[in-house]
Amino acid sequence: MRETVAPTRVLDGDRVTRVAWLPGSDRLLGECSCGSRAEGGDPIGMWEWLLAHPDHPAQVTEPDSGAPVAHVPPPHRVLRPEQAAGPRTPLR
Amino acid sequence: MTSIVRNQWYVAAYGREIGREVFGRTICGESILFWRREDGTVTAMSDRCVHRRFPLSEKPSHLVGDTVVCGYHGFTYDADGTCVAVPGQTRVPRTARLRSYPVVEQDSFVWVFIGDDDRSDTVPIPRAPWLGQDGYTTVSGMEPLAARASLLVDNLMDLSHETYLHGGYIGTPEVANTPITTEVDEDAQVVYVSRHMDDADCPPFYATSTGIQGRIVRWQDIEFHPPCLYLLHSRVAPVGVLPNADGTDPDGFHVEVVYAITPETEHSTHDFWAVARDFALEDEGVSDFLRESNRTVVLQDVVALDALERVLAGEPDGYQELSINIDTGGLAARRIIAAQAAAGAEQVPDSPATLASR
Repeated sequence: MRETVAPTRVLDGDRVTRVAWLPGSDRLLGECSCGSRAEGGDPIGMWEWLLAHPDHPAQVTEPDSGAPVAHVPPPHRVLRPEQAAGPRTPLR
Repeated sequence: MTSIVRNQWYVAAYGREIGREVFGRTICGESILFWRREDGTVTAMSDRCVHRRFPLSEKPSHLVGDTVVCGYHGFTYDADGTCVAVPGQTRVPRTARLRSYPVVEQDSFVWVFIGDDDRSDTVPIPRAPWLGQDGYTTVSGMEPLAARASLLVDNLMDLSHETYLHGGYIGTPEVANTPITTEVDEDAQVVYVSRHMDDADCPPFYATSTGIQGRIVRWQDIEFHPPCLYLLHSRVAPVGVLPNADGTDPDGFHVEVVYAITPETEHSTHDFWAVARDFALEDEGVSDFLRESNRTVVLQDVVALDALERVLAGEPDGYQELSINIDTGGLAARRIIAAQAAAGAEQVPDSPATLASR
């Protein structure tokens, strides 16, 4: 794990979780209030890892890993191209 | 399933909106009447006469001393909502009472508790002290939003949208390009998101108000107290100018941007906004500029979120969305609000209809 930056420390409660976005990268560094740290590639996986306290998994689930994409939004369909924006030829 | 978090304090109005006239506003789906007693304190109660449901905020309803008189048949209520007079008879039915609401006036806002009254003492009201504090000058307003409150929470928790939606006003390329750090205090239920730009373009909002020429240090520190109060601690200064080691910051310009996000209904929101500054305190020109600029920015959000609400309202539940690093703070806010909603719902006593169905 890189140790290039620590999350900011503004809140001072007993149960504070922190996530830093590592400069110059797309990576996140999470730190639990128990001191456990892990690096990951997206916030969904990072929060899952943090909220598993005290049973943090060995690694943060990475995005785009494992199962194929469950759902791909359908493309927008232009049902009547003549009504789409842009130059038009007059309708007859 | 309601999306509105119960058993919480919400901003219902600015103190300046409430006076010796009846004032009605819907908060979290509840129609509430506000007015000031003769001693200046604010009171809040149901905005529906118990007799035939006439809105007490509607003329010719009016105040007489510390009572409100229904403009339809004259039912008269005291400041606690108790009916003290009805027309044509001396006996006032014992059940003639308006539901009253816990209300607190603080930091220029009127806060109302939505939920079980006896829990209001256990739920803290977050503070925005700058709005009524010496050393700051504040401009403020409220815009109605035809969108669910969660869309405004998402919007405010991720300021990278400033670059795109508010370019030329408060957005510059550096906002979207600078990484954030996020902290969550699980006990205090606070989400804190920091974005510190060391060398950034100065958008017109700050260039005109501070007079800074050239590039700036720009710090954005969000402190969100779900579900209602959002604070943006904004610091700008010429590049290289930082606070002193002891924390004093005489050369920085500080703007406290405050939003109160109050659901009106499931699909509409009161978007209260305020901008407090610690410079040019007496300069009316700066006040006028910041008021107009921030209102313009808020209205840009309103147009976008109204459009988003129309889209989401037409889609089935569980629509697909995608979150990336910029959403780290927004996801934390959503989780806390969901937990508050679950806790608030548990605390609501069963209705007679629910009990009867068992």
